[in-house]
Amino acid sequence: MSWENFRFALFEKAPEALLEHSMLVGITITIAILISVPLGVFLSRPKFKKFGLVTLNILNLLQAVPGIAVIALTLPILGLGMKPAIVALLFQSLLPIVRNTIAGLLGVSSDVKEAASGMGMSQGRILFEVEIPLAIPIILSGIRTATVYVVSIGTLAALIGAGGLGNLIMGGLALFRPEYLLVGAGLGALMAIFLDRMINYLEYRITPPGMRVE
Amino acid sequence: MIKLKEITKQYSGQAMPAVDQLSLSIPKGEICVLVGPSGCGKSTILRMINRMIEPTSGVVEINGNDVTNTDTDQLRMGIGYVIQQIGLLPHRTIAENIAIVPRLYKWPKEKIRKRVDELIIMMGLDLEKTRGKYPSQLSGGQMQRVGVARAMAVDPPIMLMDEPFGAVDPIARTHLQDELLRLQKEIKKTIVFVTHDINEAIKMGDSIAIFNAGKLVQFGTPEEILTYPINEFVENFIGRDRVVKKLNLYQAEDAMQPVGCMVPESELPNAAQIMMDAGVEVAFLLDEAGKACGHITSSDLNEFGMDMGGLKKRVLRTEKAFVQTTTPFPDALSLLLEYDVDYLGILKGEELCGIISFKGIRKHVYRKEGE
Repeated sequence: MSWENFRFALFEKAPEALLEHSMLVGITITIAILISVPLGVFLSRPKFKKFGLVTLNILNLLQAVPGIAVIALTLPILGLGMKPAIVALLFQSLLPIVRNTIAGLLGVSSDVKEAASGMGMSQGRILFEVEIPLAIPIILSGIRTATVYVVSIGTLAALIGAGGLGNLIMGGLALFRPEYLLVGAGLGALMAIFLDRMINYLEYRITPPGMRVE
Repeated sequence: MIKLKEITKQYSGQAMPAVDQLSLSIPKGEICVLVGPSGCGKSTILRMINRMIEPTSGVVEINGNDVTNTDTDQLRMGIGYVIQQIGLLPHRTIAENIAIVPRLYKWPKEKIRKRVDELIIMMGLDLEKTRGKYPSQLSGGQMQRVGVARAMAVDPPIMLMDEPFGAVDPIARTHLQDELLRLQKEIKKTIVFVTHDINEAIKMGDSIAIFNAGKLVQFGTPEEILTYPINEFVENFIGRDRVVKKLNLYQAEDAMQPVGCMVPESELPNAAQIMMDAGVEVAFLLDEAGKACGHITSSDLNEFGMDMGGLKKRVLRTEKAFVQTTTPFPDALSLLLEYDVDYLGILKGEELCGIISFKGIRKHVYRKEGE
């Protein structure tokens, strides 16, 4: 261990790696939300409920494939770089969000929905003004789970040239420089904890005061 | 007026229809109670009026218009709907909950705010304390008040209430019933009220429809149903205390007899003579201010003779033996038993205007039974 290596990893290498990693996580989670939340809403509608189980099973299967295998599998199709990495990470992040969106929407009390529709609120209004606001804390908790996954599995993306904190870890392994490893893994862990806490706080803030468990 | 014409609701996979060939006219401006044992189809009927459930066959008309001609959301916006589970939106404040339907009608903000405040006060809730609260911060009774206020927000001519007070404690339930009846005198809505409690039906209903197994068994005023139960089912549903239940329909003034004789307290020693002259059994005593403060009967006079101390004690025992003209028979009977007396004074406000007796109550009920 040398202080010089450590300093170099932390101040010369890490900023760029961290930025790349944040981009990787940010883009992946944004796309995952854009796919998963509408999918969850769709699958929670009475008409399409029957497809819910099948979809969840498929997503479960996708998530069960180890991240490194997904990355290896996408390589021949999408080549190197950020794009295949994002696709691979998406596989891992869809399930928790879809699952929680469905659970959150189906968990809205039927009494509330009955009263809302009995007052003449349209199905669309009920979805946007009643169901989603009531389900949002649970949806966010799915997003939180997915985010933490993506931060950690994202380090593997370095294997196909997507950069990020994985570069430091791989570099450390290849060059026998434990300082690099330490900085890469440490920052990854910190990032996961930070995002987890941040979304957790958001969950709390967004839960209407009348429903908060104090 | 709401008219149901040969409504049938058949759920798939069930041998018997939930509602079978039902025709019923619900008069305007009255409370019509649908009552019956669980599973008799009463809630299904209610929910077919605002199309929460569509009938298998038959027509529901409101003021002559087939409800299927109106868009379901539009139809429901114009009908107040209260359910047992209340269903307040937990993420909205009380004010926002009450404002839901006015918002659907796109009322201007100021008008909504005014109406919400008016309703909160009308339902007997503390305006400042309640407005910004969330449903979870209220008691069951308070929540149902908000539920009723929400249903009345745009002053719809029709309200559907599905066991609205079924989930609140008995004391709050009595309060809510009394308040709804008081309000109804002013607002005169057409209310269809579902309950499984015959006592609630008798108390709330201008008319009662009794159902069993999807069929209408009897329809009539509470008095008609209690006097002439059409068959054994209705008799059993009402219970063995049928006539006692009927007492709830009458008020003290129904069996009121004139006050025969009033005696100033100072004339107590001469009461026997005065009463004999007037030919009455009971006389009310007036205190110095001329206010009735009790009564004596001829049997009291026989018992005590000239023992003024004993007589005064007897009078003292009756100093609270008064009812109002609107006091229902059961309360009057309870007082007769409580003070162990044969007569009660009937007050109109503060003023004595008549008497009611065991005998009078008995006669009145008997006459009504025989009619």
